[in-house]
Amino acid sequence: MQMVQMAAIDKADTAWLLVSTVLVLLMTLPGIALFYAGLVRRKNVVNTMVAVFAVAAMVALTWFALGYSLAFSKSSAWLGGLERAWFSPMRLDAAAGTVSVSHLAPHLPESLYALFQMAFAVITTTLIIGAVVERMRFSALLLFSALWSVLVYAPVAHWVWESDGWLNKLGALDFAGGAVVHVNAGVSALVCAAMLGRRQGYGRQAFEPHSLGWTAMGAALLLIGWFGFNAGSALSADGRAALAMLVTMVAAAAGALSWMLVEWWVRGAPTLLGVLSGLIGGLVAITPAAGFVQVGGAVAIGLIAGVACFWGATWLKRRLGVDDSLDVFGVHGVGGIAGSLLTAVFADRAIAGVDATVLNQLVAVAAVALYSAVGSAILLTLIRVVLPLRVTAQQELDGLDVSLHQESQN
Amino acid sequence: MNDSERLAIAAHLHVALRRKTGRVTDTEWMASDTAYGQAMAQFALNYARSHEDAELERLALRFAASLPGAPAPASATLATAAAVPAADPAAPQGLVASARRYVGGLR
Repeated sequence: MQMVQMAAIDKADTAWLLVSTVLVLLMTLPGIALFYAGLVRRKNVVNTMVAVFAVAAMVALTWFALGYSLAFSKSSAWLGGLERAWFSPMRLDAAAGTVSVSHLAPHLPESLYALFQMAFAVITTTLIIGAVVERMRFSALLLFSALWSVLVYAPVAHWVWESDGWLNKLGALDFAGGAVVHVNAGVSALVCAAMLGRRQGYGRQAFEPHSLGWTAMGAALLLIGWFGFNAGSALSADGRAALAMLVTMVAAAAGALSWMLVEWWVRGAPTLLGVLSGLIGGLVAITPAAGFVQVGGAVAIGLIAGVACFWGATWLKRRLGVDDSLDVFGVHGVGGIAGSLLTAVFADRAIAGVDATVLNQLVAVAAVALYSAVGSAILLTLIRVVLPLRVTAQQELDGLDVSLHQESQN
Repeated sequence: MNDSERLAIAAHLHVALRRKTGRVTDTEWMASDTAYGQAMAQFALNYARSHEDAELERLALRFAASLPGAPAPASATLATAAAVPAADPAAPQGLVASARRYVGGLR
């Protein structure tokens, strides 16, 4: 553990990262909770919201217990060690005037750096919930989330963001989590949805969202929180953070408009859910590139992402035949893949400091997708040995709110 | 019976269930999904029989009869079941035209 004098801590950067951490947490609570809960049927609203809150709480603890250490300590190219496990790095000696720091951010208190990274682990895990809502047993979901955050998310974060991670050494660029967060969650979501099976009536009945207003509010909170997600990943209150915030807004706007226009052309109507989905698609795609591209590149990434995510959530979804309830793969998986590859195309050496290659990005995306898919499948298979993954047919029919939680949303 | 009439009956049953039993239902889903609608009608009927609530029983039977192709709830008496008009098997599944876009996908 590295202890430094308090004077070595940059107060401006610390203040910005404190704000960014709150913004990233806002994305999950209540951003994701509202976004997802608005898209399910009324009989499953409570289940969806409690799943997001409970998984967030679960991952917050697993992160400090094991995940942070496995992700952000030096050990091997594949996995970190355990010297930072069980909250051990959070030291502050007021008498000596020292505070612990991470080797990855020696100008920030490690307690803050770990908390900022925890917010990423939380949102990545909660994203998967969107693929399994309306049918997954709550206890199975909690167990899967706890194990996934430690055994899948933490190793992938180590590969990409820890200085001795193998994808980091390879030169793969992922500024704020295109591969670590979105490809990882998107692919895992697809595997989970496939292994759980389709909801009763899928493909025959209309599963109409119970409140697009909630979804719009959730999307707005996601947009605002994403400024902390991307600009905060600069780990500094400087020009790179400002540029990251600017390109985040631009890509989001481009994504929203391109999805809307394609949908208008193909389906004959510009829908609210389409605009919101394009907005999220643009945000997802700019995430790996936010600290590396100019504004023009961000516009291109957003425009392409809006079209790619529309294709992913419609044509590709129907071809795959998997009941990914809220299109986690179609938006986050496809958007993450597109953004990661486009990062190599639009990265500016003057900003990034390095040259990115499409091949390196492709290797990173493929490795993360493969590990996420296999890891998720193994975890679900093991969990299925001890408890069923799905609720009973009657519970699904009655709705998970009443059958699992004895509560309901009016 | 058309979709909006079924939805109106479902809304009456929803209100009665909420007030009398505390059970909250998904009104739109009740009106568009026969299996869920039947389950809620059965729940209402069971409660009405055990609490001798004639109003709730009448609403449950009326709603059950409005479901396309649905048989009367299992615990309905022969006399009351016979008094219920036959369901319209030709009534369209799906609530309104805008809802049909959500078949097989959200977007």
